[in-house]
Amino acid sequence: MSSFFDIGYVFDAIPKLLNYLHITIEILLLSIFFGLILGIIIAVPRLYKIPVLKEIATLYISFIRGTPILIQLFLVFYGLPLLVGMFGINITRMDAFIFVIITYTLSNAAAFAEIFRAAIQSIDYGQAEAAQSIGMTGWQTFSRIVFPQALRIAFPNIASTSISSLKDTSLAFSIGVMDMMGRGDTLITATMNALEVYVALAIIYYVIVLLLEYGYKFIERYLNRYLVKEAL
Amino acid sequence: MQLDFNFTLYALKEISKVIPFTLFLAFTPIILGFVIGLFVAFIRMSDLKILKACANFYVSFYRGTPVIMHIFIIYFGFTNFAQEVLDISLNGIPLYVFVLIALTLNAGAFLSEIIRSGILSVSKGQIEAAHSIGMTASQVFTRIIFPQAIVAAIPNLTNICTAFLHATSIAFLISVTEITGTANIIAASNLKFLEAFIAAALIYWVISILIELISAKVEKKVTKHLRRGVVQNA
Repeated sequence: MSSFFDIGYVFDAIPKLLNYLHITIEILLLSIFFGLILGIIIAVPRLYKIPVLKEIATLYISFIRGTPILIQLFLVFYGLPLLVGMFGINITRMDAFIFVIITYTLSNAAAFAEIFRAAIQSIDYGQAEAAQSIGMTGWQTFSRIVFPQALRIAFPNIASTSISSLKDTSLAFSIGVMDMMGRGDTLITATMNALEVYVALAIIYYVIVLLLEYGYKFIERYLNRYLVKEAL
Repeated sequence: MQLDFNFTLYALKEISKVIPFTLFLAFTPIILGFVIGLFVAFIRMSDLKILKACANFYVSFYRGTPVIMHIFIIYFGFTNFAQEVLDISLNGIPLYVFVLIALTLNAGAFLSEIIRSGILSVSKGQIEAAHSIGMTASQVFTRIIFPQAIVAAIPNLTNICTAFLHATSIAFLISVTEITGTANIIAASNLKFLEAFIAAALIYWVISILIELISAKVEKKVTKHLRRGVVQNA
């Protein structure tokens, strides 16, 4: 039994892997941050029904939702240098980390765009009309009436997207990024204790997801603080 | 460097040969996982304290860890265990079997959540009504709860189908030759990575769109009775 699975080695591996946790977190935070910005930009043409841009946005979202993240990672890794190469810029030596951020940003943006669109459309149009009738400007209507309510509706979906995004970051090592998973790979090559390393990694991911879920629950409760509790 | 479209076409042709295998890899776990999911969903809605805690942990662990971990842990777990404890080699077993096991367990966790929310979507009054006209518990389930639960679960089931199609791409990392694996082999032997992965992306995309179209058709058909009435709002 001892030679098959050494629990002690799992605990040995965890601190070594945690040294690389910040890379995973950086990928996650940066891709969510840029993804939120890009997601808003992509959601706009579909919300305001801007002719050609709307079709492009729909196609983009469909493509991202229709292909695995691993394929997207490879497409960006091999395709982006070619694309910017046409403009005379050479990025073939760029850090793989940047390719990963770009891929996850593009992927998250598609998911966020759909979430924003659904959330904003779920706000009753009468409210916007009412806001305008008391003399609010377009921006005031959006920032004071529509946005706070849409955020409340969108938040649980944004939270679950960010959790699946965290799990997806475990694939970044396949284009050579030295995150936790990449470090795990080198540990395995060095020690041959593959099972223990992967169990250690699974524990780390699980704990992070649990912490995130716990944190999100608090934010959700905060966002819902004005809601009247339904009488049971 | 220039894109070679003819090579993309060639790759499309080569990769389409493994589409049936990829679909097998994606959908077998969903079918087997459905059975697991049903059991787990029942346990989680029951009053069996210890079993319930185990079921909750199973679902939360599988939902909280990346699929790639499941595949690696199952793969190394089984082969190590067989090698060191039972002293038999599992080299003869094709690698995709481990992927199937990992994905099935994963599907069980996700499907149990979907089934549970489907069952909870059926109103209590209907169940009470069914009991009041003398239906047994199993009749209530098979005639009242299950048909409605499964219809309510269609959108989630569609998402699971595409998610699993996409998850099979991870099997390539343990050298299973599904769509991504085949694309990688073709790419590496011709040194045309981008073209091959574009072909793979197109294939995934088309299959995903087909899954959504089929599910929309099915949903329209099974919810027909909900749209019947004086006002037609289909």
